[in-house]
Amino acid sequence: MAEDRRVFRERQFKQYKSDVKKRGKPFYPYVMLHDSIMSLMVVGVIVALATIWKWTTPGDHTGIVMHDGVASTEGTSGWLGKLNDDPADPGTISFTPRPDWYFYFLFYLLRIFKWPESVILGTIGIPTICVLLLIAIPFLDTRAERRPLHRPVAMVTGVLVIFSMGMMTYRGATAKESLGSELLGKVPVWAQKEGFATNPKAVAGAKLFAVAGCMNCHVYLGSGASNLGAPELTTEGAQHRGILFQVEHLKCPSCVTKGSPMPAFASQGQANLTLLAEFLEASQGPK
Amino acid sequence: MSNQRSKYEHLMYPVDWLEERSGLVGGIKYFLFRKVPGDVNWFQTLGAATLTAFLVQATTGVMLAMYYKPDAKSAYPSIEHITNDLFAGWLVRGMHRWGASVFIILMFMHMGRVFLFGAYKYPRELTWIVGVILVALGLAEGFTGYLLPWDQTAYWATTVGININGTAPFLGPFIAQFLQGGEFINADTLSRFYAIHMLLLPAMIAGLIGLHLYLVIRLGVTSPPWSKEAAGGSNDSEPGADEETHG
Repeated sequence: MAEDRRVFRERQFKQYKSDVKKRGKPFYPYVMLHDSIMSLMVVGVIVALATIWKWTTPGDHTGIVMHDGVASTEGTSGWLGKLNDDPADPGTISFTPRPDWYFYFLFYLLRIFKWPESVILGTIGIPTICVLLLIAIPFLDTRAERRPLHRPVAMVTGVLVIFSMGMMTYRGATAKESLGSELLGKVPVWAQKEGFATNPKAVAGAKLFAVAGCMNCHVYLGSGASNLGAPELTTEGAQHRGILFQVEHLKCPSCVTKGSPMPAFASQGQANLTLLAEFLEASQGPK
Repeated sequence: MSNQRSKYEHLMYPVDWLEERSGLVGGIKYFLFRKVPGDVNWFQTLGAATLTAFLVQATTGVMLAMYYKPDAKSAYPSIEHITNDLFAGWLVRGMHRWGASVFIILMFMHMGRVFLFGAYKYPRELTWIVGVILVALGLAEGFTGYLLPWDQTAYWATTVGININGTAPFLGPFIAQFLQGGEFINADTLSRFYAIHMLLLPAMIAGLIGLHLYLVIRLGVTSPPWSKEAAGGSNDSEPGADEETHG
């Protein structure tokens, strides 16, 4: 049977070559004209995007505006986003760490596969399997049939893949972000609910927690985003891991919890990390 | 007539010289005048469109490399300088920034077209595999290029990205350490990403595009599968069986 198939498809390819020779048209000028028109459109679209990016940026297209006499890049997003973000600062994040949009679907996988049990599936497992499956397609589908209506499995799979990638990209793009300043206002409520209002170190730690960007990945008493599937920390203290563990973990998460994708916060300094640890240990769940 | 011919003959000497030594002229002639199926359509220009987007990235990338400084202190100011001070610097940077998105969209669209047409089937399996590797390398270009402006978004997204690489079994930690150039993301990470982004990956991509194109030219492009005139047929039935209907 396999022998038949090989002979058959070789004959079919021979037929292809003779058909092209007999009824084909030369690449130049026909195909080349279409390719060139398409290529010019591509360059046009790229130039247009660059231009829209620049010319819709506030502050005379510079992305710098004056707030009370001080130059600032605050709120200077054009239609296609900011021209320049703030320079890299290993000490603070005040927004959700986001990849470029074409990685949103990968990032969204991290929401589906929750930390810690199945996170490896989301980070490495699924993408690797997808690439291997893509490579394997010609060997899984060995029929000569090419008409879409006669390849229902391939077409349904294709549509499902496109739909889910589109959906995950959309969900990744619209995932909720919270601002540090809004979260800061919630600290007294947290302190009261979790009963650490009388512990000044824990309260100071809670304020740091709100502004240092922790809540871009973690959820605390219903606030924050679970974009990356990081664990909820509302009852973190109930596990009694201890201040020492918390500080070491914040310094280098992957050293303490093998495989953790959480960034290292060593640059916050020992004093701040201790405050954060106090806060986490005091978070024993709503009373 | 013969007079005119001899008048222009010497103009052909360099071409003849080149052809005699390299066979290049014959190669170009073969490339231009090779036959393709008569029923190819607009969807089949997506490959050329992707190539164009790559060439835009290569060209604008070289221009940016002339002014960009890959160290933690000057990377951000050098990008500001390119955007704000240089003539059309904003355009070159903007084209590179948005060209990346266009390149990636076109790669996926091209891949979708090939899948829809069933063009990955015998004998074009290797062309498909090279294409899949190109998509992966293209995404890697996007990942490494994202860090280079050395701004907040770039820094923190890359931190998480590297940590994700680090979760891979066995090789993960080594990959993460290789990318970072150390235990943590640091100043060396930037120059490392720069080298990967503009030397390693583009060389691999350019080489594989060459192989991809060679295979496309060698094996020919497919007819749209629904075409009545499809060269070599488009189904499991015996080729040439319905020869009469083709005319």
